[in-house]
Amino acid sequence: MTDLPTFVNEPIGELRRATVRDELLAGMQKLEPTLPLSVPVWIGDGKREREQLTSTDPGDPDRVVALSAVATTDEVDDAVEAAQRGFTRWSQTPVTRRAEILVNAAAWLRSRRAELAALEVRECAKPWSEADGDVCEAIDFLEFYARGAVALARGKPLFQVPGERNEMHYAPRGVCAVISPWNFPIAIPMGMTAAGLAAGNSVVLKPAEQSPGCGYMVVKALREAGVPPDAISLIPGEGEAGAALVEHPGVHTIAFTGSGPVGLSIIRAAAEPGAHHLKRVVAEMGGKNCIIVDSDADLDDAVPAIVSSAFVYAGQKCSAASRVLAHEAIADALLERVAGAVEVLVVGQADTFGIDVPPVIERDAQERVERYRALAGRQGRIAAERAEGLPDHGWFVPPTVATDLPRDSPVLNEEIFGPLLAVERVRDVDAALDRIEELSFALTGGLFCRNPHTVERVVRRNPVGNLYVNRPITGAMVGRQPFGGNRLSGTGTKAGGPDYLLHFVEPRVVTENTVRHGLVI
Amino acid sequence: MLAIGRDLAAALPGSSRNPIKAIDDKAMDLASQDAELRAALFRFVDVVPACRSLDDLASHLSGFLDEVGDRPPPLQVAMRMSESKAGRTALGAAAAAGVKHMAHRFIVGETPREATGVLEDLWRRGVATSVDLLGEATVTRAEADRYAARCREALDGLVDVYRRLPERPNLEHDSSGRIPRENLSVKVSALTPLLRPDAPELGKRDAAGRLRDLLGRARDLDAHLHIDMESFDSREAVTELVLELLSEPEFQDGPSAGIVLQAYLRDSPELCDRIIAWAHATPRAYPLLVRLVKGAYWDHEIVEARQHGWQSPVFEVKADSDRNFEALTRRLLEARPSVRVAVASHNLRSIAHALAANRAMGGEDGDVEIQVLRGLGDDLQQALATRGLRVRTYCPVGDLVAGMAYLVRRLLENTSNESFLHEQAAGRPLDELLAAP
Repeated sequence: MTDLPTFVNEPIGELRRATVRDELLAGMQKLEPTLPLSVPVWIGDGKREREQLTSTDPGDPDRVVALSAVATTDEVDDAVEAAQRGFTRWSQTPVTRRAEILVNAAAWLRSRRAELAALEVRECAKPWSEADGDVCEAIDFLEFYARGAVALARGKPLFQVPGERNEMHYAPRGVCAVISPWNFPIAIPMGMTAAGLAAGNSVVLKPAEQSPGCGYMVVKALREAGVPPDAISLIPGEGEAGAALVEHPGVHTIAFTGSGPVGLSIIRAAAEPGAHHLKRVVAEMGGKNCIIVDSDADLDDAVPAIVSSAFVYAGQKCSAASRVLAHEAIADALLERVAGAVEVLVVGQADTFGIDVPPVIERDAQERVERYRALAGRQGRIAAERAEGLPDHGWFVPPTVATDLPRDSPVLNEEIFGPLLAVERVRDVDAALDRIEELSFALTGGLFCRNPHTVERVVRRNPVGNLYVNRPITGAMVGRQPFGGNRLSGTGTKAGGPDYLLHFVEPRVVTENTVRHGLVI
Repeated sequence: MLAIGRDLAAALPGSSRNPIKAIDDKAMDLASQDAELRAALFRFVDVVPACRSLDDLASHLSGFLDEVGDRPPPLQVAMRMSESKAGRTALGAAAAAGVKHMAHRFIVGETPREATGVLEDLWRRGVATSVDLLGEATVTRAEADRYAARCREALDGLVDVYRRLPERPNLEHDSSGRIPRENLSVKVSALTPLLRPDAPELGKRDAAGRLRDLLGRARDLDAHLHIDMESFDSREAVTELVLELLSEPEFQDGPSAGIVLQAYLRDSPELCDRIIAWAHATPRAYPLLVRLVKGAYWDHEIVEARQHGWQSPVFEVKADSDRNFEALTRRLLEARPSVRVAVASHNLRSIAHALAANRAMGGEDGDVEIQVLRGLGDDLQQALATRGLRVRTYCPVGDLVAGMAYLVRRLLENTSNESFLHEQAAGRPLDELLAAP
């Protein structure tokens, strides 16, 4: 295979053009007659279909999007065994061939972009632009890690002396378990899976129970592109299937993106050694993401960026903003404008162009956010909410801005994962940094400020994995904003970055003596 | 065409009054030559209104200058001043005064009332105006209502200003009839917080109420209302909104109203056809005034397209825009009397071309309006007025906070090496400047 061209991000759809919007609508028309999808337990060449798990449209819970089988513990064992067999073959496939297959999978997705976006709209209530962006990100991950694996296979240079040849290379680790969330229902499972596969591991994917249909498409894309059936299996299900997979002694690497409590339980379970190895966990967990607004900020930029960071996709991104720490000199003006901007947000069905806030993923999520909203009203003050005209069907929550909350309020310290934003007044930027310092999360953060000295100071002190200056804090792009958090937000790995594949390999060094009879031969 | 161009050039005031040379702040000259310095200067200008004190101002200035590798001597002095409190206060005061001074070249007053003197003076010198109300971005309903209210007041205020002024026949009539003296330019993005690139209907619906009200007011006062065009993101919404509202029977007899066509857009010829077809099919007492511009959001469009991996909606080579401008000029002139044509440019070649094309079609000079920007086109405005042509100067009104986005845009234009004014200032021979793009 010839060298791959330089990586470029897949261009997201130019939805400002009516023709592009029409293509997406045509994708929906093509998808709808195929629903509900039947999602199998898919191990090697064997498919078992059964209607055990139902995924529905969050905007219309009567609409069934996918009917999925649920993997049993025996099936989890089967999947890991298949993956062990698959590993032997896949790890020996030349890296250029593996890269080629991943690039084929990217092409498969590319040729079905509109239908896949439509599936995300239906199954996860991703608004069109977000859904299309997610499919593009999945394509990016495939293209990016394919290139990364080829580069990694060249190894790293070592010092050499006469009579000795030193080489360092990276070998795949073995079976990789991928446990993925529903909020980026194709991109995140594809990203973790593609990284594992690119590096030569075999993968067993357990997608979120809320988005089995999207998870199925991930595996389908990879298999259609040429990944051997034993090298990629799908075990849909709920928590038990995931737990069985994590605990399986045949698993070497666990790549997880999801909530903090589940992540910590995975890290604990993975402390137990595997058959002959230590398990490694790559985990991306929650956040409590703060945007600092300094007194010199341009509020014309800050307000729309804050509102989009907090409310796009109903705040259900791990990168979403949940706190604004505003310098006291501009706090009142900022709060008034943010509140006014929230009052005109368009809450509606994900399949409608131009909506800002879709429903949240499920009833539990709706109830959770409502609890925090009620708490925010009791402990502080609701500065704005967009409550009127909410569809009465579907898991809608009014986008809300709260303020005047006590420092120890759960609203300020726990991950809510919904359209609720807290605004706080601080003396200055340093006071804001003190509050950020108190958090156990460190995923994303934002800063609106036009003084280069202050920017420098915040960059030094803010512990977050991704800091955004004078722009929204969501929307990380593969290769441009390698993504991942620190502290309890994650293991500090950066998806879509130059170091990510290193977590899926083990380094090996070979030193060969080239001296024979006193001569260097 | 060459003859017209040379004649206008001859009517320009002495080269010492050229806008670029005349900007007394030497920083602008320096900025044109040094990209780093230009970035530092513009970032500073941009933040001035948000600074809370002179000390704060100086701290920002030194922060930006820190990032400039090669500092000319005056800036080294500035850096040394920023090391002491007293120095910072002095530096801050000097810098603030400089920026304010710069702003006053481009912005005629903080309020329409304050601008009265300038508007009167221009009229007496044979120059019409279009007033534009600068404002902060509209992100809330209250802000949209406030902007609409300011526009209403401005319309009333303009009537007060202009009714006292003497007759200027060439500014008030063309062969289609009367041209209102009072002329206000408004922005749809300020009339609604709901402009969404992927849902033009949404912003259109929300802005329609406020714009309809303004159109009604303009009709009652017999003033002209011009709807500006902004970035490509809102192009569909703005175009459809304007054409739909002006199709309503209540606006058939007025007001005089207009739309903007941006020649830097690759698809502007299609839009031009659409506008002309609409104008032919929609008879109005006042023909639709089409203001032809190159377009002011070029950098924004290019950056946006690059960041998303899109083909840019604008021509990337300036000569392509210039050529398209001339083609569109001819199309619009041919579409009279269904439309009126305003050619908005500081490019002598583009203007001479429009006047020559009009004459070649047998049109009167008075049937082409030339529009320029306050602060950038002052000399040209003078030359056009001297030759008895109808020139209208776009006059922004607003405070420094609101005006900053506009000011930075103008400064960028002023220091761009590609701009006509820059080439003219650099002493490029007239015949080269007048050559076909």
